[in-house]
Formats: sequence, C-alpha cells, structure tokens
Amino acid sequence: MLEAVIGLEIHIEMKTKSKMFSSGPVQYGDETNTNVTVYDLGFPGVLPTVNKGAVINAIRVCHALHMEIDPVLRFDRKNYFYSDLPKGYQITQYFKPIGKNGYLTINTSSGEHKIEIERLHIEEDTAKQLHSYDCTLIDYNRCGTPLIEIVSKPQIHSSEEAMKYIDEIRSIVSFLDVSDGKMEEGSLRCDVNISVHEKGSNEFGTRVEIKNLNSIMNVEKVLDYEFERQCKCLETGEPIIQETRRFDEASKTTQPMRNKTDAVDYKYYPEANILPVKLDEAFIYEAIRTSNELASSKLKRYLESGLSEYDANILISDKDLSNYFDNIVQNGVSYKLSANWLIGDISAVLNKEDISITKFPLSPDQIAEIISLIESGKINNKQGREIFAKILENNTLSITELASEFNKGMISESDELLKIINEVLDENEQSIIDYKAGRDKALGYLMGQVMKKTGGKVNPKDTNSLLLEELKRR
Amino acid sequence: MKEVNIDVLKNVANSLMFDMSEDEYRLLEGEFHTTLKQMDLIHNIKGVEDVTPMTFPYEVTTSALREDEPSEVISSDEALKNAKDVIEKQIRIPRVLK
Repeated sequence: MLEAVIGLEIHIEMKTKSKMFSSGPVQYGDETNTNVTVYDLGFPGVLPTVNKGAVINAIRVCHALHMEIDPVLRFDRKNYFYSDLPKGYQITQYFKPIGKNGYLTINTSSGEHKIEIERLHIEEDTAKQLHSYDCTLIDYNRCGTPLIEIVSKPQIHSSEEAMKYIDEIRSIVSFLDVSDGKMEEGSLRCDVNISVHEKGSNEFGTRVEIKNLNSIMNVEKVLDYEFERQCKCLETGEPIIQETRRFDEASKTTQPMRNKTDAVDYKYYPEANILPVKLDEAFIYEAIRTSNELASSKLKRYLESGLSEYDANILISDKDLSNYFDNIVQNGVSYKLSANWLIGDISAVLNKEDISITKFPLSPDQIAEIISLIESGKINNKQGREIFAKILENNTLSITELASEFNKGMISESDELLKIINEVLDENEQSIIDYKAGRDKALGYLMGQVMKKTGGKVNPKDTNSLLLEELKRR
Repeated sequence: MKEVNIDVLKNVANSLMFDMSEDEYRLLEGEFHTTLKQMDLIHNIKGVEDVTPMTFPYEVTTSALREDEPSEVISSDEALKNAKDVIEKQIRIPRVLK
C-alpha cells in the first residue's frame, strides 16, 4: 500500500512594529513604497540592526513548539540576484537556527499524531511583486518584514494531517500575538514537499516541492492531487522527477516549474555585518514568562471551569473571542453564563452585523455587569436581554439604572410573596405530589405559575428559595 | 583546496550574475594568491589545528538588539527617485515570471 510522505515549510510574517533589520515600519495595506528605509532598498553602506521584538517572538514560538533554543543568535547571508530584494541577498539563519528539535501534537480522525519539527529560523521577507501580462510592479513596503520559518520533518502522511498541522501552527502564532496568521493576506505561507513510498518502508520516493500555497484548502487540493499523480506514475512506470512544481488554481493541478538541475546555489555564508548575539538566560526566560496563553492551555482551563467541550472549542477557535471571554470572566462572573452570552446573544449580533468581536461596541465589563445582575437575582435572563438590547442601541445608558427600572414595582416583601406562593400551591396539589415523587419538572411548573401570578415582578432566586421551603412544609 | 584562478572567479561572478573587466579579475586573482599564501604561513604555525575556526572575534549581548520601534522612513518620492520606470508609485520592470 502506497503512502504519502509530506514535509511542510511554513513562513510566518511577524506582527512587529518595525522590520527585521531596519527600523522601517511594518504595516499591511499602506500606500505602496511608503514604508521603506535606505536599508530596505539596499543603498551602499547600509548596515543591519536586529529587531529585539522579532527575537522575542521567535523565542515564544520555539517554546510553544517544545524546541531547543540556541542561546547564541547568528545570521547568515543567502545570496541571490532578484528584483524582490535589492541588497542582492537575504539575511537568514542557515547554519544555526534559533530553534531546533521540536514537535507538535495534532488530532485527526485517525487519532493523535506527534509531528517532529526540525528547525525554526528568523529571516527577512522580500518585496511584493505584482505580475501583470507584460510587466512586474514592485512594492518594497514588505521588503524586510520579519519572518519565521518553521520546517517540519517529513512525518506527515495525509492532506488531513497537513491541514491540522498548519491550523495548529496558525493558532499558536495567533494566540501568541506573533502574527495574524492569515493565509489569504499572505502572513502565513506554505511550501510543501511530497513523495510516495510503500507504507512501512525506510526508503523514500523522489521528492516534489510545491511552493507558495495561499490557503489551507489549496494545501489539501495540492497534496491530494500530487499523491494521486505520483501513485499513477509508480503504477505506470513513468519516472517521478525531482522538481519544483506550482499549483494551477484554474485546472486544480500542479505544473512543473523548475527541476533539480536548475536549482540555485545560494552560496550561504555567515552574515559578517551582525556579530553573534548572546541571549542571556534571563532574556529568554522573560520572553517565555510574558507570552500569552495558548489555545491548548485555555481549552484545559475552560473545561476545568465547567464549560462543555463544544462551547470551549468555539471560544478557542478565535483568539479575539477567547480574549473577550477571558475579560468577561475576569470580573468574577460564571464561566457558563458568560459562554452562553458570548456564543448566544453576542454572536447573533456579530453575525447579523457581519463584524468581528473586536468591532463589537459593548465592552466585556458591560456584559459582566449584566451577568452579575442575573447571577445575584436582581434581574432575570429576559430582563438581562432587554438591557443588552437597550445599551446596544444607546451605549451611554447605565446598566445599573436600567436594572433598577425593572425593580420598580417588584414584590420585595417576603410576606406578600409567601402569600402568592401558597395560593399557587393550594391551586396545584397534583404538582406538589409530583414534586415529592421526584419529578423536578413540577418545580419549574410551580415557579412558572408564581411568575404568571406576579407578572414576573419577583426576584427569581428569592422566589425559588421560598417555594422550596414551602414545599418542604407540605 | 581548489585553486583560485581567473576561470574560477569568472564562474563565481557568473553565478552571482555580475561581470568584471579582465584587469579586475587579474587584481582579484592576485589578492587571492596573497591571502592564500598568508593562510599557508598560519598553517605552518604549530598547534593551529587545535584552534576552533571562528568567523567573529567576539559575541555581543542582548543590549545590541534594536528596540522594536519604527523610524527613519524615506518619502516614496525619494524611494522611487532612482527607478527608471514608475507607475502608480510602484517600480515597473520587465515581467520576471516566465
């Protein structure tokens, strides 16, 4: 039985304020050629300076991927002549990557898999080139943007595993706030290499590389197509050529780009303009200590706090959503109620308005205030929703004042309430028998009757306690 | 070690996609011969084989890292000043994709 052997190289654009080796700003979507410095344009005599923020980011990702971190930071020069990098070389970490020997655990339909990671290195991005039918346009804004490249060992065996691996990396860099991790915007780009061999064999087949895949769906399509193509080659005896292929979106196929003999010799050598930087233990420790909580850790915390697996997974599917949730529960309100509000009422507004949680007009503190009023029994869920709708319309309204409006005319005297409860009990003897026989639904029915009689003008929590006491007496 | 002669230098220059005049190649060949002679002299010093080769004389500490704050941008007019062909604030070159 034939099996795919897949390795992935993922390039991640970091969300730093400035570039990797110059203090040019990093800003996606700005006007073309406005975020450039003389260094980015390779002017004579320019010298690189290493971005501390980018190094801290790289350390955090290394730690999340269980990697050995090299305490001495070294850079190398990759020489090539091309319009996207005017210096004529890219500064990278060829000989000594900052991270090596890590792993990532992924869950697929066939169970849990540990994928080993060979290396993680820091480098600089190239300029963006727009190719039209007769010319190429260059925007140097992206030139020099800090990148990390993560190289897996060839231990992935299906497109499903590859997609899960990429998704897990995307989640890590996103939760650590290292990158947006958006494939569609190019902040996470993927090269795959794939060969085919007999399952269980120690020998590998001829490897084919496919570069610059810009969506997880395309990774799936490419790997499925390439696996089929290579299997057919082996069946028919057609040789598989070691080459780089490209994905053709229109035909959903891969097409040859260049073969091994066209491979460029980059003549790597140590970058003479950057002295090795000794990263002291305290610096590495502090970078790790101050890093954000990962999705896997949040998931564990949510489950331990009583959230269902379903709710917890919805929250960790989006970093901003989980951050908003954490900011609600920071106020000391219930995890479960907060999740219900976020996944229910708030998500409904987000869907309706087609906005993300970062654009939601109400603050986590406001939502926590409503939840807190419900938990303390000062308002019920229905009233909470009414307050929510009102402050959505007018965010200057005070939640406390709106809640006290509801409390006007409330039956606060326990004697009066007790009288009503007893009237309800007298009118519903069968429900008392049912409740005593262990049918909990009867309690809900009796509560409903009290609410009906009072027009909902009672504190649900107090009413429930009084009702239970009276039931005990009967 | 491979002999460094003009053919080797031309091959390297070709790989890096630049060229020099014959005089420059001869000058560079001469410089290589001098450097290689000096390396031979060092090689003859006793105990050199026990010394770990190094690229840099020393390491620096984390204080050498630059704070992540943007500055020093040049205007797009300045950035594009040396370009032969500019369209919509982008540099236009012949199509580089085959």
